[in-house]
Amino acid sequence: MPSFLTALKSQVGRKILTGITGIGLIIFVILHLAGNLTLFGDYQAFNVYTYTLESLGWILYILEAGLAICFLLHAYIGISIWWNRRKNRPEGYEKYQTKGGPSHNTWASRSMALTGVVILVFLVIHLANFKFADTNMITLPNGETGRNLKAVVMESFQNPWYAFGYSFVLVLLGLHLKHGFWSAFTSLTMKHKKYSAIIYGIGIIFAILIAIGFLFIPLYIYFTGGQGALIAY
Amino acid sequence: MAEEFTINLKIWRQAGPDQPGKLVDYTLDTVNEHMSFLEMLDVLNEKILNEGGDPIEFDYDCREGICGSCDLMIDGRAHGPKAMTCSCQLHMRNYNDGDTITVEPFRARAFPVIKDLVVDRSAFDRIIEAGGYVSIKTGSAPDANSIPVDKQVADTAFDYATCIGCGACVAACPNSSASLFTGAKLAHLNRLPQGEPERKKRTVAMVEQMEEEGFGDCSNFAECEAVCPKGISISAIAEMRRNYMKAALAGDEA
Amino acid sequence: MNLESNVPEGPLKDKWSKHLNDIKLVAPNNKRKHNVIVVGTGLAGGSAAASLAELGYNVTSFCIQDSARRAHSIAAQGGINAAKNYPNDGDTIWRLFYDTIKGGDYRSRESNTYRLAQVSNEIIDQAVAQGVPFAREYGGLLANRSFGGAQVSRTFYARGQTGQQLLLGAYQAMMRQTHNGNIDLHTRHEMLDLVVVDGKARGIITRDLVSGEIKRWMADAVVLCTGGYGNVFYLSTNAKNSNVTAAWRCHKRGAGFANPCYVQIHPTCIPVSGDYQSKLTLMSESLRNDGRVWVPKEKEDDRHPNDIPEEERYYYLEEKYPAFGNLVPRDVASRNAKIVCDKGMGVGPTGRAVYLDFRDAIEREGEKTISEKYGNLFDMYENITGDNPYKQPMRIFPAVHYTMGGLWVDYNLMSNIPGLFVAGEANFSDHGANRLGASALMQGLSDGYFIIPYTIGNYIAGAELDKDIDIKHEAFNEAAENAQSHIDKLLGVNGDKSVVDFHRELGQIMWDKVGIARNEEGLKQAIEEIQALREEFWQNVRVPGEAANYNKYLEFAGRVADFLELGELMAKDALHRDESAGCHLREEHQTDEGEAIRNDEEYAYVAAWEYQGVNGQLQEKLHKEDLEFEFVELKQRSYK
Ligand SMILES: Cc1cc2nc3c(=O)[nH]c(=O)nc-3n(C[C@H](O)[C@H](O)[C@H](O)COP(=O)(O)OP(=O)(O)OC[C@H]3O[C@@H](n4cnc5c(N)ncnc54)[C@H](O)[C@@H]3O)c2cc1C
Ligand code: FES
Repeated sequence: MPSFLTALKSQVGRKILTGITGIGLIIFVILHLAGNLTLFGDYQAFNVYTYTLESLGWILYILEAGLAICFLLHAYIGISIWWNRRKNRPEGYEKYQTKGGPSHNTWASRSMALTGVVILVFLVIHLANFKFADTNMITLPNGETGRNLKAVVMESFQNPWYAFGYSFVLVLLGLHLKHGFWSAFTSLTMKHKKYSAIIYGIGIIFAILIAIGFLFIPLYIYFTGGQGALIAY
Repeated sequence: MAEEFTINLKIWRQAGPDQPGKLVDYTLDTVNEHMSFLEMLDVLNEKILNEGGDPIEFDYDCREGICGSCDLMIDGRAHGPKAMTCSCQLHMRNYNDGDTITVEPFRARAFPVIKDLVVDRSAFDRIIEAGGYVSIKTGSAPDANSIPVDKQVADTAFDYATCIGCGACVAACPNSSASLFTGAKLAHLNRLPQGEPERKKRTVAMVEQMEEEGFGDCSNFAECEAVCPKGISISAIAEMRRNYMKAALAGDEA
Repeated sequence: MNLESNVPEGPLKDKWSKHLNDIKLVAPNNKRKHNVIVVGTGLAGGSAAASLAELGYNVTSFCIQDSARRAHSIAAQGGINAAKNYPNDGDTIWRLFYDTIKGGDYRSRESNTYRLAQVSNEIIDQAVAQGVPFAREYGGLLANRSFGGAQVSRTFYARGQTGQQLLLGAYQAMMRQTHNGNIDLHTRHEMLDLVVVDGKARGIITRDLVSGEIKRWMADAVVLCTGGYGNVFYLSTNAKNSNVTAAWRCHKRGAGFANPCYVQIHPTCIPVSGDYQSKLTLMSESLRNDGRVWVPKEKEDDRHPNDIPEEERYYYLEEKYPAFGNLVPRDVASRNAKIVCDKGMGVGPTGRAVYLDFRDAIEREGEKTISEKYGNLFDMYENITGDNPYKQPMRIFPAVHYTMGGLWVDYNLMSNIPGLFVAGEANFSDHGANRLGASALMQGLSDGYFIIPYTIGNYIAGAELDKDIDIKHEAFNEAAENAQSHIDKLLGVNGDKSVVDFHRELGQIMWDKVGIARNEEGLKQAIEEIQALREEFWQNVRVPGEAANYNKYLEFAGRVADFLELGELMAKDALHRDESAGCHLREEHQTDEGEAIRNDEEYAYVAAWEYQGVNGQLQEKLHKEDLEFEFVELKQRSYK
């Protein structure tokens, strides 16, 4: 029998890891979106949310470390699968198309590595722009002083490059999730005649909701010039 | 007699394993709707032969969709446009006068081309060799009815056992993965009481061999299921993963 | 030629166990020192190679296909017989034996056929233990169905893919031994000659079908499991690579070819649609369990079958054979199809087809049940013909399917060349003049799993083989040169007619004159025509490409060259057998209703032919092994 570590390094193990990290990232994406939506809460809700997060201290570091591992592992395996794809079929087909039917072979599924890498690059920019951004300090309702991240967000998304760039990447995230959601469950061996179709359906709805949720914020801010009625000032 | 019509073909020609190949154009104007795809190629070969050329090599044997010899990538799809069909069972009534069809070999690093459309699929045999069996010796079996098997289990085992080893799953997979082939044999044997004692060993050995042969990862495209002439479900792959991880977790005990 | 059958003395049911008690054994640690060549990886070859390797012999195995799993046995659909009597309908070993020998029209060796019935049960045990997913009842036990020529349900099946499942079982057992290093497997290798040293089979010559290399292989015994020769008819239900080459080249080295004219024509196949047709597709005999065979009473009735009212349909099998109805043996069903078509009642564009109708069965059991039983066959039919058998009757016609004849073997399955064993369809042994459905799988596996492994030990233990020879021995040189020069000769003709054209023409002669029904005049013509065609072949065949490369046309050319000789022998054998028996119907010997009339006085023997050369004509000498029936009484077969 292979050791557990060897097993994890096998094709099967790698796929299981992709699935686990994928689900970790899905949870992260859900929480992140929930957090973002506090923008539509009362005047200080967003800043309170970020403040609370940042004051978690070492717990946050652990969570962040976990998240980073998920990202890196997920990306590393994904990229190596993409790399092997070329290696394992050195001479490609002149003509290639899917047979349809039960196939999930679509642009979205074939381009997981591409969409993944774009998301990864975006992430670096995103972290630089928001997490590590220079911010003014502001007094929160509870009397503490915190970063005024809301102002950064409002400002950034009035810049068309940023608003549309961000939106584009989130469309790609939607596509990544369209295959990724279902695939993660299948990799974790949850494949069933009936339920798989349901999981796939849920995955698509999920991908759309996430994409819309994330897209709504920059587009709303951009098109309302930062004056939209849904956001309290 | 059905009417004859014309088909244009672009067929991969390659003189030998390490030689360069290319698509060559042919036109055949004596195609008939009742011909199978391979019969159409036979007729084309006779024509090439009459013109003094070298016939196109392609693999076949039973021509009934069961031996798994035939292996053509037809217009970019393994075994052509029809679901649950082998190249030899594809009939020309699926095409129209004037259509152009591209025919290529099944491609994968683990399936090197021998000549034209003929490839070497012996990697599949080696995966079976690694553990695709129940280790019993001739003559040592108990009475057949002493091992009752739930009908549903037997039927499902049969569904997986119908794999014909043609390699379409590998050919169609964007990653050239052999997970469906390997998973199908595992799903057949692992679910039967006869196969239970060797379940872990078998699963690990076959998965490792599959990787060693140079087949790619499975990204759950399910294209394999779409092209499988027997319609084998990728549930087999999920099951393979489960059994493999269980075996690894259990280690050498139990 | 020595045709000593070596059947052990004693009562029928004790012969095999007595023989097992008496035969010599090779000690376990000595087995490793003995090499055995097994040619073919079908049911017979796969099971023999696996079992011999398990016993400890060093096995070298060969097949033409790119994988051992693709042997022609994979295509068998319907099922495998065994006398388990699980359905409790009164089956016994005796009954299975009796049905088989009667089905074969009393032209097989009693002792062999009885042994086949005896070991049949072990085959099922073996296959189930290997994980072969046979059909089961809801209670978890094995299911059975009926097949032609039997009044009990003794056929085990795995949907319509029984051969596939059994072969994969044998293949897997074989791959296990390959993995353990006990079998050295060579795929894409074709045997081209047998090497005989001091009168004993000591090796073979093969051609590597990828590189074209001619290779030599030495062993203490050679087991030939190379299948049947139905492809001599060009169109048959056999796989395209099925051939007679291995057996024929052994025949040329002195092995007797027995009963070559016994060819089974299967009644339910999809009719020919055009010249390009490359093979015929069988619709399993199991369909006759529920399908009813009929033709319109009116000649050349071109109404749609669904428009022909009940009273204008002629259910000729049910009317003529009330006891067996649509389940009469294959020869009877085929012959009757020919008779009604000859009378002008045939249907379809060519008038060479009859209906197989499921209307009543669907009404009775519902479309779902019928689809569960035959779904894959119905789909296959629709795929090939474009017609939907749930909505209108299938059109079927007989096609060449199986060859009962083959190399002569004794009770040990050894040919008259010591050390050359022959198993499966390649031998002549168990089916007489007609094989019952579901018994070829049984025979192939019985030979391979349960007979050869023992009898080979007996031979090897007593053979006193010369240990000093190697593959440089003169006999090897001669055989290798022979194989090479045959190839060079084929490539050298450089004529302008393709191999396929010759094969098709040969097939037409065989089908017209050595097919379902034969007569003296036709057979004589056939012999002349085949001779002329063979002559033309060697003058005018065009084989493209080169010897040292993958070259399918070259492979086929070699096989067609052998078929052109075999065809003549078949016609000769059919001509000499001036009686009707089973599948061999001589029109001179039939009742008014077209039933075969045997002549037991003069023809109750196995005809074993000895090759003596070809010069214009094929020279063959006839030897006879008389068939003695100690335990069954010879009767006119009746299925009424
Ligand atoms: C369509 C169809 C359906 C059938 N259905 C049934 C059924 O339901 N029940 C039943 O009992 N029987 C059935 N039969 C008959 C049965 O399948 C065959 O008789 C049987 O499988 C023959 O097995 P075998 O091992 O003797 O030979 P095969 O399976 O024919 O194997 C021959 C082997 O020899 C190899 N070989 C041949 N020539 C050479 C050479 N020169 N050099 C090297 N290797 C060579 C081949 O590669 C192959 O591996 C059916 C047959 C057909 C055609
Ligand atoms: S030739 Fe056998 S499956 Fe196509």
